[in-house]
Amino acid sequence: MSKFKKGEKKGAPGVNTSSLPDIVFMLLFFFMVATTTKDADPTVEVTQPTGVLAEDMTPFKQRSEIDFLYLGVPRNKARAESFNMGYALFLDNVAQPSPGDLYNVNAVRRWKLDKFEAKPERMKKPIKEVITCVKADETAPTGIIFDIRKELQDIEALKLAYAVKDNGNY
Amino acid sequence: MAKRDIPEINAGSMADIAFLLLIFFLVTTTMDRDKAYIRPIPKKVDVETPPVDIQERDICDIVANSQNQLMVRGEIIKNPDDISDYVLEFFRTNEDLSTSEMIAASGNRNHPGFNFPFYNRFGMAEINGKIEQTTLEAEEVERTPGAEAAYIEYFWSKVSEWEKRKRALKLYKKAELPELSSQAHVRIEVQINTGYEYFAKIHSEINEAIFELRDEASKDLWGIDYARIVTQLGNEPTEDEITKKKIFQEYLDKMELLKVLYPDRIIEVTPKK
Repeated sequence: MSKFKKGEKKGAPGVNTSSLPDIVFMLLFFFMVATTTKDADPTVEVTQPTGVLAEDMTPFKQRSEIDFLYLGVPRNKARAESFNMGYALFLDNVAQPSPGDLYNVNAVRRWKLDKFEAKPERMKKPIKEVITCVKADETAPTGIIFDIRKELQDIEALKLAYAVKDNGNY
Repeated sequence: MAKRDIPEINAGSMADIAFLLLIFFLVTTTMDRDKAYIRPIPKKVDVETPPVDIQERDICDIVANSQNQLMVRGEIIKNPDDISDYVLEFFRTNEDLSTSEMIAASGNRNHPGFNFPFYNRFGMAEINGKIEQTTLEAEEVERTPGAEAAYIEYFWSKVSEWEKRKRALKLYKKAELPELSSQAHVRIEVQINTGYEYFAKIHSEINEAIFELRDEASKDLWGIDYARIVTQLGNEPTEDEITKKKIFQEYLDKMELLKVLYPDRIIEVTPKK
């Protein structure tokens, strides 16, 4: 009766796998392009100066004994004018005036203490030993770094690190 | 022409090639490591102390002004790469002088080492005597009623300093331990507008000089690179790795000696507003 005849039973057709490499390549390229190793993208422009024989900060990072702060020119040029000498600090995703500015003098101090308080008790090292690493732009005036240094001295966070770009191994 | 079937290419291994590439990139990718110079900040002192009189020969001052011009020990220099040579000279000039030569040099303005820091030399007998003496002093302070804890601690720190010298001399395996004058230091003076680039460069140069001094000493003494000592000290073993802990301690002692021989005393002067 029916016009459609059922054919004989066939085995499952083989899946064409020739496009599998394309998929893998696509994944490869995606990761190659999308991988960045920065934990935060600072809103200030920082070109680090080069130096040799600097200490590797990775072990301190793994033990979370280090806080990073950035010092550079804000990417937003209009904002740059409102900061001391045109340079701003970048603390945990927020651009802040540097300590020499007339207002908001205690930004570094507060940031450091907040970070210290926020750490769970078992991971806490005495604040004296928590390193503060300044990643400053090569043109940044050193005076600002000394202002930061003074703030840290006041709260007895007595370890400061000056970041550089170092391609050598040590 | 007869129609022919195009033979199919087996693409099954393409995936393997792609994976191989993926793994290659995963392995060879190096991340930008964070590198920095760690410098301690001196503790804030509330009590005004009279400035200590430091002899000019004990200061290696590196000055950078707001026009990014450099001066080391009173000499203007053009190439910032030369700073490390000045620092090396500062450490090395009087290194091999014996005690009697040193006394002669300190009185003679024309001596080439007159304007460079001197080394104190301690023999084992002297160090042992000092340990005894300082221990007695510390114990006496401890017994004094009403002595402040910080005061007592200060006296004990003197004892531990001499004990450190004793350990260092044992490891040094020579009759005398040369120790740079305790006041000798490298001083960095910048102005508010000095570029960070120059400030970092000065630190870089100082590190370079101290690295070279210590590297030479560690090669002389034990035939190993200073860099190796540093990397060994980078991974501290856990409590239960006893053999590793022993090796780690050896490297710690070596580092201690190198630090006695070539201390990295750096003073950063806060620029005036």
